[in-house]
Amino acid sequence: MNGAAPTSFDTWLSARADGEAGAGLDWLEAQRRSALHQVREQGVPGTKQEAWRYTSLKRLIEQGFARVEDEVTALQLHDIEELLIPGLDSHRVVMVNGRYTPSLSALGDLPPGVRVTGLRALLASDPDALRERLNGVAGESQPLFAALNTAGLDDGLVVLLDRGAVLERPIELIHLSVGMDEPRVAQPRHLVALADGAQASLIERYVSLGESLYCTNSVLELSLGRDAVLKHDRIQIESPNAFHITGLYLSQDAGSRYVGVNVGLGAAWARTDLVTRFRGEHAECDLQGLYLAGDRQLMDYHIDVDHAVPSCSSRETFKGILYGKGRAVFDGRVVVAKDAQKTDAAMSNKNLMLSQNAEIDTKPQLEINADDVKCSHGTTVGQIEPEKLFYLRSRGISAPLARRMLCMGFAEEIIDALQSDALREVVSEEVGRRLETAPLT
Amino acid sequence: MMLSVKGLRANVGENEILKGLDLEVGPGEIHAIMGPNGSGKSTFSHVLSGREGYEVTAGSVTFEGQDLLALEPEERAHLGLFLAFQYPVELPGVNNTYFLKAALNSIRKSRGESELDAVSFLRLIKEKLKILHLNDSLLKRAVNAGFSGGEKKRNEIFQMALLEPKLAILDETDSGLDIDALRVVADGVNALRSPERSMIVVTHYQRLLDYIEPDRVHVLAKGRIIRSGGKELALELEEKGYGWILEQEQAA
Ligand SMILES: Nc1ncnc2c1ncn2[C@@H]1O[C@H](COP(=O)(O)OP(=O)(O)O)[C@@H](O)[C@H]1O
Ligand SMILES: [Mg+2]
Repeated sequence: MNGAAPTSFDTWLSARADGEAGAGLDWLEAQRRSALHQVREQGVPGTKQEAWRYTSLKRLIEQGFARVEDEVTALQLHDIEELLIPGLDSHRVVMVNGRYTPSLSALGDLPPGVRVTGLRALLASDPDALRERLNGVAGESQPLFAALNTAGLDDGLVVLLDRGAVLERPIELIHLSVGMDEPRVAQPRHLVALADGAQASLIERYVSLGESLYCTNSVLELSLGRDAVLKHDRIQIESPNAFHITGLYLSQDAGSRYVGVNVGLGAAWARTDLVTRFRGEHAECDLQGLYLAGDRQLMDYHIDVDHAVPSCSSRETFKGILYGKGRAVFDGRVVVAKDAQKTDAAMSNKNLMLSQNAEIDTKPQLEINADDVKCSHGTTVGQIEPEKLFYLRSRGISAPLARRMLCMGFAEEIIDALQSDALREVVSEEVGRRLETAPLT
Repeated sequence: MMLSVKGLRANVGENEILKGLDLEVGPGEIHAIMGPNGSGKSTFSHVLSGREGYEVTAGSVTFEGQDLLALEPEERAHLGLFLAFQYPVELPGVNNTYFLKAALNSIRKSRGESELDAVSFLRLIKEKLKILHLNDSLLKRAVNAGFSGGEKKRNEIFQMALLEPKLAILDETDSGLDIDALRVVADGVNALRSPERSMIVVTHYQRLLDYIEPDRVHVLAKGRIIRSGGKELALELEEKGYGWILEQEQAA
């Protein structure tokens, strides 16, 4: 990096050598222009802005990430073998640095009524399938990183299920980041739409080869039709030097059910926005999360649940383990509209602090405008309980192992909610490995 | 001597709880410690097993010749010390089987023995479960979490059976048990009696000693052993209560 530190995100949107996705589509050009305008208008939000109150963007912007320019073509299946999860039988989609990579993917047979493809390819072959959908959930006016993602829209995963279609095996997205000669930003844009009565499960994994510095800014727009069911596990294990930003925009029609587990373990700096809107009655949203924040690591969660209609239920259950000089933010907000009677909402955030130097800002909020509702929120910040530690040690278990067992016990509830044993095993192992080297002061 | 406690004094905060406690336990012996509530029985058990929060101000504790008080709790367990807790601790999210395996293998490793493989381990715990009349389903649950009072106590003795300590301290394992559960626990304890294994059975009531016959009975009051005798002492206490012995002590 030469000269003064960058003061805008312009470098994120530099030109691609191989051209823009969907070039020549008027409606897409208009969306990009509008998004770019919003990016410029918003500038770089400071900590006076509510959404960035606890998190400074300084560290991120100083990196001067440049847009990924070229496709990584050299990777072969054996290069990524160690990243595959044994025993996980999935429709596998691999993306490398934000680009769908068919040679590493293994879609297998898809049942009728199910379409799984890359966004860039679909913009070329059947743009009308996307016209009403792109930005359909995220909306026209977008927060900074969603707008950046739209302005730099290039590729991503598209999953479309027709009415009543049922997928037995999960769709697994592996987003792989490979270090380049200079720090790059990839902005994958995913779209998952389940029509009425459709059922699927989705696994998103963000991983890297090596410990390089890069940025991922992903957006997932997810819409569930009437009575549709989606199980969604998202596992972020980026490089320890990476920056990871993600926005999940979820829209739920009547009777639909979303069950999501969000695991954040990697990256130096991670920001997650989960935004849910209920559009029909008797829909359910179950959002669970587990994060680890160690030395020089920031995990920032913003959750926004909009009970706009009556008789929906939502659970937001997030647990964090902080150690070393780790930092985390949990900013959760549930809004119950005036007419949203019979809303059932429960938000909780529990944190286990393994060191005195770790820091948590947790702020669950309820804004209730209806009178016949069942809503609760709670937050805890605690340490490992000495009597539990003593119990284990009195059985011959060393203090470090005993601490790890108690941390794993704390995390168990969330890990248990993952959709398969294979995933649970991978996440347990990864959490255990991190705790093994966690400083305890 | 297996355990030798001499002039042990210990504080909790500002308060002196143990005030010069003496006790000698030989190999294979079972000693009962009885005493009124608040006399320091649990404090003594905790000091022996190395719990934090107690300050030893005087005296010594040696276990097979080693200075016990200089060791970490896990090191004491490695030497063969075991405490069955008066109030077993609930560990939500910590799987019982995993816990038992970690404990057993930690102790085996400390002795230079190989870790047990999954099959031998499972065979071993199934065998021990039977002795305590415990159900297999217990293994899938989290340690003590949501266990009934009786299940918790039986789980303690089950752990003892698995870890095969040299010296076990049972801190009021009988309290809160109905007569059937008491019998099961006592059977479990008796099954473990051997010429190499010693036990300190802490109890508030004489009842347990009908099933576990002690070699010696000690009365702990106000932080000291004020009377020792054979098993007939327990019966005498049952009949006359602690008041009688405390009065004699004061008169002396
Ligand atoms: N952690 C503690 N903090 C303050 N006082 C304690 C603590 N533990 C024990 N004590 C006090 O020490 C005395 C002995 O308690 P304990 O050893 O539990 O008696 P016992 O087991 O014989 O009923 C009691 O007066 C009790 O209040
Ligand atoms: Mg007691």
